Amino acid sequence: MDILISGVGGQGTILASKILASGAALTSGVCARTGETIGMSQRGGCVVSHVRTEEVCSSYIPQGCADLILSFELCEGARNIPWLKKGGHAIVNTAQINPITVALGASTYDTQAIKDYISENSHAYFVDANSIALSCGSVKTVNVVLVGIAFGLSLLDVSKESIITAINKNVKPRFFEMNTDAFEAGIKASASLK
Amino acid sequence: MKEILLGNGAIALGAVAAGVNLVSGYPGTPSTEVLQTVAKYNKDGKIYVEWSTNEKAAMEVAAGASYSGARTMVTMKQVGLNVASDPLMCLSYIGIKGGMVVLVADDPGPISSQTEQDTRHFGEYANIPVLDPSSPEEAYEMTKYAFELSEHIGMPVIMRPTTKVCHASAAIELDEPAVHEYDGFTKDPRWVIFPPLSYKRHIEIEKQQPVISGIFDEIRYNSITGTSKTGIAAGGVTAAIAMDVIRSLGVEDKVSFLKVGAVFPAPKGLYKKFLSMTDRILVLEELDPVIETGLTYAKAENAITDVAITGKLDFRINPAGELKFDLVRKYICEYLSLDYTDNSCKPMELPARPPVLCAGCPHRASFYAVKKAMKNRKSVFCGDIGCYTLGNAKPLDMVDTCLCMGAGITAAQGIKRTNPDTNAFAFIGDSTFFASGMTGLANAVYNNTNINVIILDNSTTAMTGHQPHPGTGRTMMETQSARIDPVKVAKALNAGFVEEADPYDLDKAIETVRAAAEYDGVSVVVFRAPCIAVSKPSGLYITENCTGCMHCINEIGCPAMYIEDSKVKINDTLCFGCGLCAQICPGKKIIKA
Repeated sequence: MDILISGVGGQGTILASKILASGAALTSGVCARTGETIGMSQRGGCVVSHVRTEEVCSSYIPQGCADLILSFELCEGARNIPWLKKGGHAIVNTAQINPITVALGASTYDTQAIKDYISENSHAYFVDANSIALSCGSVKTVNVVLVGIAFGLSLLDVSKESIITAINKNVKPRFFEMNTDAFEAGIKASASLK
Repeated sequence: MKEILLGNGAIALGAVAAGVNLVSGYPGTPSTEVLQTVAKYNKDGKIYVEWSTNEKAAMEVAAGASYSGARTMVTMKQVGLNVASDPLMCLSYIGIKGGMVVLVADDPGPISSQTEQDTRHFGEYANIPVLDPSSPEEAYEMTKYAFELSEHIGMPVIMRPTTKVCHASAAIELDEPAVHEYDGFTKDPRWVIFPPLSYKRHIEIEKQQPVISGIFDEIRYNSITGTSKTGIAAGGVTAAIAMDVIRSLGVEDKVSFLKVGAVFPAPKGLYKKFLSMTDRILVLEELDPVIETGLTYAKAENAITDVAITGKLDFRINPAGELKFDLVRKYICEYLSLDYTDNSCKPMELPARPPVLCAGCPHRASFYAVKKAMKNRKSVFCGDIGCYTLGNAKPLDMVDTCLCMGAGITAAQGIKRTNPDTNAFAFIGDSTFFASGMTGLANAVYNNTNINVIILDNSTTAMTGHQPHPGTGRTMMETQSARIDPVKVAKALNAGFVEEADPYDLDKAIETVRAAAEYDGVSVVVFRAPCIAVSKPSGLYITENCTGCMHCINEIGCPAMYIEDSKVKINDTLCFGCGLCAQICPGKKIIKA
């Protein structure tokens, strides 16, 4: 399957893609690819990670092909909806990070219009993932919360064990427990979204 | 077990698997993670790894080690090779002993670069072979092979991945690292470049080209599949994308496909074969039409007249930017006269989100201090390469020029010479200063050009992900050397005015900049404060009884600030406690929490 992860530089999208890719590699033992945004955009710009678990040659998902979008930020979810296939799912963190262009009055952030656009063009789940992450100890665990929600909604074709192994492989030992808590909290939160 | 590795990690571990002894480089997106991954896997310290002061230094360090029989790799981005082009051009004449891989990452788009230059041309220019991987897996295999090829032909070999290979990851089965033993340096006239030797070697190099071309005819990285008379040729990551497109359209039996991974010297025999089995060829490649030109030459050399080649030379393919899946599909569908429907929904108009200086970034405070100090005074602000290029964005608007590494200091001199009534400022980061700013400063002092240099010393190479440099003294071998202080360097270079300032102490910072501008001669102000990514926040600021005048947002544009009910609020997860906003709030309504 093709999963696109979007957010703002600094939110930790790359860790989510690493966990999903290594989780997939552990589950099926076949193909797992990612494509990352690294570089200038990381300074508060738009970042996107592509995760592909199919037998394909290239690492970046074509437009209109993603099965699932995990968005760490509302507006960035909308920005990437064209990558979603018809009937695809979008799990969107309702946390808003206003671009500086909005504060300077050069553009507007129309929350309702953005939500409507996402709802019209996807099977959408809106969730305040920042609050869940905070309750687990740090807003930085928002990546694992979102992975947990996707898993809880049965939108990932990987096993729970392989995701936990992948978390263990990709976070520092002292953050492992907080991250598995966040993963479980995500699964729990998914129940109210079904 | 397979490991999920970035393309850059695959190249790094390919080199480790080949028994690389020394790796040197200078950071630059999208190449940086190659050297970092080698360092990470170098737990026993058997490989010597260094960030050099710049790409030229890095390549020369690697060259010396290769003369001694060691296997070496030198890493950089494409514009870095411009800096290292002097040793590269000479190395093809002198040759090497231990395998030497020159890893140069190109950046179609460009995504994080000044240019879309194509390193495959550099190979052609220097007569050095170029390998162009299509995926992280291939990059791993190719890197191992590059060392063998380099030793076989006695020349460096260029590995040229592009961003979408460098920053893609795949599951890769790793080999046991090999151990490469070497004898050390042996004195021999072959290592000394002199005109008669260059003449002799030039003939040998030219004679070697057809031999390498013959190797590339047979190599597994180059292949032809299919028997159709309609041909598609592609190289690098575009080959992987084109294969996916062909499969997704179900037209595998309608095209013959030429994949080119070992691209220079052109595999002439393979090109001839492809030309003889097709009657038309669409060439898909990012950056410049190198494969297309190779096919066009092969067509002429073999007096083939009945094959139509189309691509960038006839402007069918956009000459600039990336060739993403959707674009490749469009080109292939047009070429094959296939209809396709774009199923994706129309994008929505959304607020732009340009990259910005982080909340609390000391560069913001430094730029602001200079802006205030020079208010109503005729000034030009020359920028340079690094995070601080982002100082061009509104509301700071403090970068009037930006060209290449180190050019700010020297361009400011040209501006001063032609605009004597203007204050010519040059902003340069600490790592860039060591990489290529010091000679420019010497030039200003020597020629007595009255410029004002602002060194933004945040104690790291921030933009590329916080690499150490000579000013930090930390090395990639986890040792500590004597730190080189830019203040002492500026004084040693005889700049007449050299002061250090704290950018967060706004009034004093403004005063220092004014004094520097008034000084008749070369002045240097070193703004010193660590990058927020390598330091801890110093508290948190909040607004209290904000009047909504918006002065703070309109003056400094900190991304931690937002507007709620016409009042300014500060995002507590982003605020770093720098306190710049509190210093400029007219009503003193921003206070420490």
